[in-house]
Amino acid sequence: MIQKKVCMVGVHGTGKTSLVQRFVQSIFSAKYHSTVGVKIDRKSVKVGDTEVNLLLWDVEGRSADQEIPASYLRGAHAVFYVADGTRRETFEQLFSLQDLARSAAGDVPSIVALNKYDLKHQWVVSAADGAKLIAGGFHALTTSAKTGEGVEDAFRWLAKATLSTSVTQTVQPPARHGN
Amino acid sequence: MPDDGAPLTESAGGTKDVGDVSVRELSELRDLLFGAERRQIDELRRRLDTAELTPEELAEKLPQAIVQRSARDRQLGIALAPTVENAIRESVRRNPREIATAIFPVLGPAIRKAIAETMSGLVNTINRAIEYSFSPQGIRWRIESWRTGVPFAQIVMRHALVYRVEQVFLVHAQTGLLLAHVPDGSLGDADLISSMLTAIGDFVNDSFEARKTGELRAFAAGDLTVLVEPGPQANVAAVVRGTPPETLPVKLQTTLEAIHLQWCDPLTSFDGNAAAFETTRPLLDECLETVLATDKRAKATGVKWYTWAIPVLLIAAGVVWWMTRGTRQWSAALARLDTEPGIAVIRSERSGGKWHITGMRDALAVNPGLLMASRGVDTNDVVAHWEPYISTEPTLVLARARQVLAPPGGVTLSLKSDTLHATGRAPAFWIVRAEGLAPALAGVGAVDLSHVTAGLPADMEPIAAEIERLRALFAAGSDALDQTALNTVATLAARYRILVEAATKNRYDLTMRIVGRADPTGAESNNLALSRRRATVVRDRLVSLGVVASRLTIDAIGSNDPLPADTPAERARLNRSASFAIQAQPSRTTNVAERGR
Repeated sequence: MIQKKVCMVGVHGTGKTSLVQRFVQSIFSAKYHSTVGVKIDRKSVKVGDTEVNLLLWDVEGRSADQEIPASYLRGAHAVFYVADGTRRETFEQLFSLQDLARSAAGDVPSIVALNKYDLKHQWVVSAADGAKLIAGGFHALTTSAKTGEGVEDAFRWLAKATLSTSVTQTVQPPARHGN
Repeated sequence: MPDDGAPLTESAGGTKDVGDVSVRELSELRDLLFGAERRQIDELRRRLDTAELTPEELAEKLPQAIVQRSARDRQLGIALAPTVENAIRESVRRNPREIATAIFPVLGPAIRKAIAETMSGLVNTINRAIEYSFSPQGIRWRIESWRTGVPFAQIVMRHALVYRVEQVFLVHAQTGLLLAHVPDGSLGDADLISSMLTAIGDFVNDSFEARKTGELRAFAAGDLTVLVEPGPQANVAAVVRGTPPETLPVKLQTTLEAIHLQWCDPLTSFDGNAAAFETTRPLLDECLETVLATDKRAKATGVKWYTWAIPVLLIAAGVVWWMTRGTRQWSAALARLDTEPGIAVIRSERSGGKWHITGMRDALAVNPGLLMASRGVDTNDVVAHWEPYISTEPTLVLARARQVLAPPGGVTLSLKSDTLHATGRAPAFWIVRAEGLAPALAGVGAVDLSHVTAGLPADMEPIAAEIERLRALFAAGSDALDQTALNTVATLAARYRILVEAATKNRYDLTMRIVGRADPTGAESNNLALSRRRATVVRDRLVSLGVVASRLTIDAIGSNDPLPADTPAERARLNRSASFAIQAQPSRTTNVAERGR
C-alpha cells in the first residue's frame, strides 16, 4: 500500500471542508482547524491495482494574505487547491497560494478543484481563466461537493500524478525549491 | 615513441647510413624548418599516449573534479570514506589534541544537550516524588515506608513506575506518513494519527518557536502520555498509559538509532511505500512493555489485619517502654548499688517527684551518685542520705590495709579469711610498723609478715650495695679529685641514676649521704674541715654530672668512725676519702587506693 501526503489549500468558504466531509474518511473534528490549524483526513484511491492512501492535510482556510504555515506543506507529495467557481476572488488568490505552496513543498503535482459547480448560473470562471490555470502549471477541473461531480476524478488524478512523478521528485528535491 | 623518434635519431647519427642521401637531406631540411613545432607535437603526443597527469595539472583540476563528481552521485564519498576514516584514526592516534580542538565547538553543545536531557528526567522524578509527598496517597506511602523500612523514595518509585507502552509509531519525519506501527492487527487510523502527531509537532514548533529549544518530546492527557523521539529521517512516538520511566525515551532513542542505521536507504528514498519498514516491527515490538508494581494489586485489595495491628502494637509497646523507662533505670541502678561492697541500701521510695534513698556507706566504697549517673539515672531527681560505716567485706578490708599500711613497691598484700598476708621486701621499719598497725584494722584478725624480708626491693638492693662500697680517695691533706677519684665519681653518678629510676618505679623516696673522711693525722678540727671539703667537692662533681642536688646530703666526720682496714697505713689511706650511704624509704605521697575512685 502506498501513502502520499496531500495538502489541501484554499481560502475560506470555497467548500473545501464540504468536499472533505462528504468524500473522505475522517476521525478528527473540524475543531482542529481552529486549534491546531490543520486537520488530517484520509482518501483511499485505487490506481490500477495499487491502492493509494492520500493523507489529506486540510490546512485552515484563511484569507490569502495570511500565510499557510510552511511546516504543514513540508514534504507534501501533491497540493490540492480548492477555489469557489462562483467567487472570482478565490480564483485570483490561487496564484498567490501556489507561490506559497511551491516555496514550501517544491514543484509537486497540483490540482485545482473549481468547486460549487452545481451553482452553474452563478459561475464566473471563463474558458480563458481555465487556460490561464493550465499555463500556470495547474491541472484544473470542476467539482461539486453537493452532487459529488468531479470529486472522485480529482482525487484519482492526483493519486496517479503522485505515483508517476514520485521517482523524479525524490531524486532531486532541492533543485525545485528555487522559487 | 620509437616511431616518432626515428627521424630525429636518423638525422643525428645518419653518418652510418650512407645509402640514401636524399632522404637524409630532406630530413635535415624538415628539421630546420619545423624543428620547434615537431618537438611540441611530440610532447603533446607523448601526453596523449601516457594519459597521466602531472601533480601540477592534478592540483589544478582536483577541486573542480570533486565538485562535479559529488554533484553527480555518491561514489566519491563512498570511495573516500575508508581513507578519511583511516586518516582520522591515525591523526587521533598521533595527536588526539588536534582533533579534540577541532571538534570542541561541536562537542560542548552536544554534551550540554545530553546533560540537559538527563537533568530533565531527574527533575521529573524529583517533581513526582515531591508531588506525592503532600497528597493523601503520599502520606499512605510514607506510612508504608515507615512500616516496611524501605526508603520513601523507593516506595514512590515502586508505585510511580507502573506503566504500559500501548502503541509505537514509526513516522517519516518530513511527510508525517506512517512507516510502521505496533502492535499488529487493526492498523485502523494509525496513518491518520501518525500524520496528526507530526502536525501537532509542527504546530507546537511554529506557535512557540520551539525549534530553538528542541522538538516536541512529550505531551500528556490524564493517564496517557505520548513520547516523541525525533530523528533526522524518522521519528518514533510511543503511547504510554501510566507514568513512563525516564529510561523509556532512551530506549526509544536507541531503537530509532538502530532503525536509522539499518534502514538508511529505504528512509532516504521513501516515497510513500512503507513495505520496506515491515521488518522494523520486531524492533518496535521491543518497546511495547507493561511494567506493573509487583505487589500493588495485592495490597490494594486485601488488607490483612496484621498490616495495621502490628504497627499499632509496636507503637503501644514503645509508648509503655518509654513511660516506664525512668522506673526501670532506677530499679536497675538500685540493684547494682546493693551489690556494691561497702554500700547497704536500707530504704528507697518515690515521693514528690524525686527518688529518696537511705543507706550506709563505707568511705572506701564507690561514689553512689556516679554509679547511678552511669546507669542513666538523673541524679538531680535523687535525694540520698548515707550513714558512714566500716565495712568488713574483704575487698574493702584490703583497700583499707593498703591505705593505712602504705606497702612499698616490693610488697603484695592479700587477705585470707581475716588474716592479712604480706610478701616481698620492705625496709625493716615498715615491717615493724605493719606488725603494730595491721591487727588494729577493722576486719583484720591476724597479720602474717613472715614472708616479708627486710631490705630494699630486689632491683635496688645490689645497686645500693655497690654504691656503698665505692670510695673516692684523696691524697694526704688534699681535697682535690685525682683521675682515679674522678672515675670513681663518674661510676657513682651512673649507678645512682639507675637506682633513682628503680626507686621511682617502686615508689621509694631516695637520698644519698656523702660522708667526708680524713686520716687521724693532725688536729681533729683541721680533719673535720678537710673531710667537709672532700664531701663538698664530690657533691659538686656529682651535681655537675647531672645528679639532682636535693637528693644529696653531706656529712663530715673527720677521723671519727673510721672505715676498718688491716694495717694502720691502709686504714689511713682508706679514710682519706668520701664514702656513700643510700637512704631509701617508701614514698608517702603516692600511697594506696588502688580502687578507682
